[in-house]
Amino acid sequence: MQIKIHKRKNINALDSGSLSDLAFLLIVFFIVIAVFNVNMGFLMDLPKKNSSKLVNISDIIKIELTGDEKYLYENSEISEQDLINIVKNRVKERPNMTMFLSIDPMADYQAVVNVIDIVRANKVENFSFRMRGDTDEN
Amino acid sequence: MKIKRPKVKSPGIPISSMSDISFLLLIFIMLLSLINYRKEIKIDYPEARAIEVTQDKNNFEIWIDKDGIIYYKGEQITQDALENVLLDAIAKKPATRVHILADKNTPYKNVNGVMKILQLVQHRVVSLVVKD
Repeated sequence: MQIKIHKRKNINALDSGSLSDLAFLLIVFFIVIAVFNVNMGFLMDLPKKNSSKLVNISDIIKIELTGDEKYLYENSEISEQDLINIVKNRVKERPNMTMFLSIDPMADYQAVVNVIDIVRANKVENFSFRMRGDTDEN
Repeated sequence: MKIKRPKVKSPGIPISSMSDISFLLLIFIMLLSLINYRKEIKIDYPEARAIEVTQDKNNFEIWIDKDGIIYYKGEQITQDALENVLLDAIAKKPATRVHILADKNTPYKNVNGVMKILQLVQHRVVSLVVKD
């Protein structure tokens, strides 16, 4: 008589079919969260309170930003494109140029950001800004 | 005569509900991580082109809406209170970078007020956040 020995089936203790889906969902979630936490903008180092720096007068260009978001250069109104051209040319002529921006208290923040954008795009090393009527400079 | 052996059931763990439990766990972790997530104030971000990624660790976010109201962690805060909170934050983590998130239509005097506080507490590392 032949005794049949049944082969034992391999027992899969953990069915991991859906585990990869869950892991993928978790990864996607944390990637999305990580991306949201990053801010984009301008990195700045403000000067010390009441600090001063010696600069050559001929290296300075003064720009005024009015309350209605207009740019004044040497007391005449200029467009944003004019401002870009002025900064570009001055940087070429004088790489150590210093830009001084006087801002009206009621000027929109966007207008200030526009000027900082131009300054950064043209790699102006020295940039100083101050609110009109304020004693401290940034 | 053929001897009939009683069938022995193979031992196993019932895993049919495993995926449900894992999914619940996943939702729980997601909700838990959202609790500490930053509280945003509804502002119109200013736009710029020459921007860079600012620091994403040890951030101290100061929000200013278009009416000039200052917020910290989703709650309105006065300039005096902001000064104290900022001093505490810097004392705990000196490498803190202050992020100013201001509405593009807010008058500059409101942003200048915050910058004056930063100068007062002698913390000069600041980021002006714009739309990415």
